[in-house]
Amino acid sequence: MDAIIQLIHVSKWHNRKAALSDVTLEIEKGEFVLLMGASGAGKSTLLRMLIGEEQPDEGQIFVHGRNVTKIRPTEIPYLRRKVGAVFQDFRLLPKKSIFDNVALPLIVQGASEKDIRRKVTEALRAVDVDHKKDQLPNSLSTGEQQRVCIARAIVNGPVVLLADEPTGNLDPERTREIMELFKLINARGTTVIVATHDLHVLNHVNRRVITLVQGVLLSERRIGQGVGV
Amino acid sequence: MRRLFYLVREAWANMRINRTTTIVAVLTTAFTLACVGIFLLLYVNLRNAAGSLQEDVKVMVYLEDRLPGKAMQELERKLRTDRMVDGLLFISKEQALGEFRVQFPSESHLLEGLGENPLPASFVVTLASSFRSPDAMKGWVERVQTMEGVAKVDYNQEWLSLLAELIGYIELAAIGVGILLSAAAVTIIGNTIRLALLGRREEIEILRSIGATRTFIRIPYFLEGAVLGACGSALSLGILKFAFELFRQQIQLTGRFSGIEGMISFFPLSVCLALIMVGMGLGFAGSVVSLLRVGEGRP
Ligand SMILES: Nc1ncnc2c1ncn2[C@@H]1O[C@H](COP(=O)(O)OP(=O)(O)O)[C@@H](O)[C@H]1O
Ligand SMILES: [Mg+2]
Repeated sequence: MDAIIQLIHVSKWHNRKAALSDVTLEIEKGEFVLLMGASGAGKSTLLRMLIGEEQPDEGQIFVHGRNVTKIRPTEIPYLRRKVGAVFQDFRLLPKKSIFDNVALPLIVQGASEKDIRRKVTEALRAVDVDHKKDQLPNSLSTGEQQRVCIARAIVNGPVVLLADEPTGNLDPERTREIMELFKLINARGTTVIVATHDLHVLNHVNRRVITLVQGVLLSERRIGQGVGV
Repeated sequence: MRRLFYLVREAWANMRINRTTTIVAVLTTAFTLACVGIFLLLYVNLRNAAGSLQEDVKVMVYLEDRLPGKAMQELERKLRTDRMVDGLLFISKEQALGEFRVQFPSESHLLEGLGENPLPASFVVTLASSFRSPDAMKGWVERVQTMEGVAKVDYNQEWLSLLAELIGYIELAAIGVGILLSAAAVTIIGNTIRLALLGRREEIEILRSIGATRTFIRIPYFLEGAVLGACGSALSLGILKFAFELFRQQIQLTGRFSGIEGMISFFPLSVCLALIMVGMGLGFAGSVVSLLRVGEGRP
């Protein structure tokens, strides 16, 4: 299998403090990876570097065959169309309907009206909120809003889906549902990376777990290798 | 198609959300541009006036007294074949006296006392329209002055060169005021766009995260700037037109300067359209400035 994500001796400092130290890591196409670590361990920093939002101070990063440490600024949008992201600070646009929010990545690319209708409906159905497509985000529960964010991240059919603390504000039941959803997306062939400090998530996923402690890649274990979803 | 629709709608939403700032920006831009417009209007009208005054320019070539007929014919031939001369009219001493009597009946007794007719004969020369610039006229007059049989050449040169000078000053003022106030308009619109940008930081972050290009993110703000500039410019033309009509009406009412009433005119449609385009460009420049300053839209 090909590595879809590769970090080679990556280090990053924030205010002279190492957010990531000499991280070397390979993630293969179609994998489901949990990125664990306490708050401040460097998880968000790592994910942000995968979409060109931040650059490492040392080392090389390859995503989908592309060296993102050498990427030209004008190419970054095209990278982001291949890498969907569900980040805590990327909320929904409050004045646009659920449908329009999810359609945004397609509008940005100049997709046709027909494609937009089909793909948005499909994505909303996948996250099970298609019955609320004409409502505004505020009328949805937190869990539902999070699902809409996920729909927006997968509507283009990205090769990789990144999620940063996707269950941060959710109760255990919603957490389970969201993790099931990620597994489903993964089962369709998308590589999924979920960063979280919430150990409960481990109860719902038995896949590859990568742990960061103060920016250092600590241990790697594979739970239940070969076990299906 | 949907993308285009989205961009236009975003620009429109920006303007609606910041309605007060938008209106204030359009109004201040309009008044600013109207100030520039006044100078421009003055300049255009004075130039027109100068042009039509020059149409009337006649040069008087006075002849020496008791010039032999042969010399006079020679001079007439020279003038007629001059490429700068369009028309020639001979006024004899008697005709000159007659005209003087008609124009100044109360002063005609002054001439009586002199016995002999003191008025010289003359040629009234109309210059070809392509040689009516003050400089060309001056050169021609100096040349004719040295011709044989010519006593004096007279034309309202002072007046014309004064007008040319005045037009020059107004042109300078129009350029200076134009640059200054255009910069003001750019700043006003730029600030409006900056407010719109700051109010939509989060939205811009989201757009960036889903793979919107820099251009895509910026287009609504460029559109907004251009629309504000065009609206401000159109409104300023409205203000100017209104003030212009008021001015014309005043002239008609008082009856003074009735001569210039038919001479002054508003900008032609093509110039109006060009001015709106200029306003649009200024607004566009305003959004470019604020996008650079806020540093938004980086990928
Ligand atoms: N923009 C930033 N400026 C300064 N320090 C930062 C910035 N982002 C992250 N850090 C620091 O880098 C370290 C890693 O942060 P982060 O990647 O957000 O960790 P996590 O997502 O695992 O909680 C922390 O010590 C944090 O304070
Ligand atoms: Mg984090």
